[in-house]
Amino acid sequence: MLVVENLVKQYGDLTAVDDVSFDAGKGSVFGLLGPNGAGKSTLINCISGLLTPTTGHIAVSGHDIVKDGKAARKSLGVVPQEIALYEDLPAIENLRYWGKAYGLRGKGLEDRVSDVLGHIGLADRAKDLPKEFSGGMKRRLNFGCGVVHQPKVLLLDEPTVGVDPQSRAKLFELVEAERDAGACVLYTTHYMEEAERLCDSLAIIDHGKIIANGTVAELKSQLGARDALQLTGEFPAEATKSAIAELATSITDLEILSQDETTLMLTLSLASQHLPGIFDALSKAGGSVSETSLRSPNLETLFLLLTGNELRE
Amino acid sequence: MFSFLVTSAKKDLARWRQDKTAFLIWLGIPFLIGGLITSMIDGGGGSPTGVLLIADQDSSLLSGFVAGAYSQDQLGELIVVEQVSIEEGEARINDGEASGFLTIPEGFQEAFLNETPVTLTLKTNPAQTILPGIIEDVTEILLDLGFYAQRLLGSEIQQIKNADENGLPNDVFVSGVAVDIQHKIDKVAPMLSPPVLDVVIIEPPPAEPQPDIALLFLPGIILMAVLFSSNSLAADYWEEREKGTLRRLVSTPGMLSGFVAGKAVAALVVMGLIATITLTIGFAYHDVAWSKFVSSLLWVSLGGVGLFAWFAALQMLFPNNQAANLVTTILLFPLMMAGGSFFPLAALPDWIAGIGRMSPNGFIVDRLSGELTAANAWSIDARSWLTLISVTVSGLALSTWRLRSGFARK
Repeated sequence: MLVVENLVKQYGDLTAVDDVSFDAGKGSVFGLLGPNGAGKSTLINCISGLLTPTTGHIAVSGHDIVKDGKAARKSLGVVPQEIALYEDLPAIENLRYWGKAYGLRGKGLEDRVSDVLGHIGLADRAKDLPKEFSGGMKRRLNFGCGVVHQPKVLLLDEPTVGVDPQSRAKLFELVEAERDAGACVLYTTHYMEEAERLCDSLAIIDHGKIIANGTVAELKSQLGARDALQLTGEFPAEATKSAIAELATSITDLEILSQDETTLMLTLSLASQHLPGIFDALSKAGGSVSETSLRSPNLETLFLLLTGNELRE
Repeated sequence: MFSFLVTSAKKDLARWRQDKTAFLIWLGIPFLIGGLITSMIDGGGGSPTGVLLIADQDSSLLSGFVAGAYSQDQLGELIVVEQVSIEEGEARINDGEASGFLTIPEGFQEAFLNETPVTLTLKTNPAQTILPGIIEDVTEILLDLGFYAQRLLGSEIQQIKNADENGLPNDVFVSGVAVDIQHKIDKVAPMLSPPVLDVVIIEPPPAEPQPDIALLFLPGIILMAVLFSSNSLAADYWEEREKGTLRRLVSTPGMLSGFVAGKAVAALVVMGLIATITLTIGFAYHDVAWSKFVSSLLWVSLGGVGLFAWFAALQMLFPNNQAANLVTTILLFPLMMAGGSFFPLAALPDWIAGIGRMSPNGFIVDRLSGELTAANAWSIDARSWLTLISVTVSGLALSTWRLRSGFARK
């Protein structure tokens, strides 16, 4: 349904998207996970036709986005990160306008507008102006405008930025409903929990490159059964690094995920059994631990392991 | 494309309709300026009147005649005569409350009849120009008239004066004096009529009917409203870009050319509405033939769309909304100045008017002025129509190109 092959997008010397390839099928949610500035939005803009790729190929529902743009865009729905609505036009008129922009007409349009209004929970506010809506309601209408034509491929660019928990849950339901209706959903986010909840498969992107991809389970398995151990306190940089390196000779798969003067993140198997040894080694290195947090492996841990950076940086 | 054009136009009209304040401002400012200009020219619709203060210290038949002469016929429509004392007259003329102050001294009639020198004092108001001049001229004419009347009818006037001193004259006396006066007039009449000189009157060629000066301001005032509205509406492209709706549109199969054409149609409707209101008021006020209404309406509306298209294209060339808005707003005033919105092109020096006619709004104003003052409707030539259509279409094409060349994608 959505195929991206060897996509490269350059701005002068800067390579924003670097040889990215993936494909997503019908009735699935494909997640693009990465921090701000990783290249997610550039990738989305290439897929939606806003940017022309430097090299590579994108096909939406079998249509090349560059060579057969109009046909490709007919199959595409886009929910942009910003709220791209006419705030001085009633909600129902917004839906009608975007429906017509996608080629819907007559009864088909009216039926679909009515369905979407109910679906996004704005049927009773259909004639109100979006400028009178709450942020969550605007987000839902923004979503509705992107799906009014029942797209085969739906691009969602961080749709939950700045959304309250209740509206976020509603948006998740809407995404799942589109997936269940057979759409191929490309979902970009930097929220790990969203990706874990919604995505059937995902790619982790950083500095324009895909550094890992697969299903959530497959990605988690890359961490094996290792735990993530976060220590807070004082950790002299070089001495701590040496102490952990020495400890790694006796504890298999012990690795530093991240380190600064006050926080040390480690990954290792059966972390609880090795805590006394770790505290002892850190103490000998001149450090002190004031707080300990032990977590099961998750995508954030994997991201740290792969990039050495927090996802939200 | 046509279907999306209509959809796009409806969308913009529905949005623009919400901003009634802007619509009132577009119309309000030109109407305010136009109203001020018209009232200055028309002076509120009436002729100016002046006050002549007369202090008659003689209180005689002749002094009464002099005072009454200023109120005769058409002069009476211009000058209001008030009898005052010397003190009041001095005070009021010094305060600028009158156009002139005439003092008729005691013994005026006696001096007139005895042909001895006498002085009439006329003080005029230096703050006024026209009315004091008229009063001065009339006074001089009266003095000349008095001189010739004395030469011709001196003895009869003396008889009337004597009779006046002896009480009411009898019928025989009155008829005798009347007959004497009539004889003298009869004697003089052949010298006056027919005149000694044979005058041949050659009729001048009929002058071109001069248009109402206030009417010449009307096209410029209408274009002022059109300029304000077209510049404001053109800013909608920037608004759509900042809202993200333009980017969203690019990712749909909807055509940008249809989108631009839709905006142009919506602008045409707004311009048509503005033109209808301003022209209706202008036609009614200046009594312009209604047969010229449709042609004027079409000309102004199409001109408005042309200005809208070029303002939009220009605004989209700037790197941000603030710069675009600032530059085009600053541009409005020289355009209005050169294009005849503040002064009619006909009232400007030729070289300035020539430049003004080449400005986009000046071109529209010039042809509209011609249409309003022409003998017949549809006086704007085909070449002007074609020029306006070409300029409008090229402005829309430039807007579309700018959208496609990156403006809509950012």
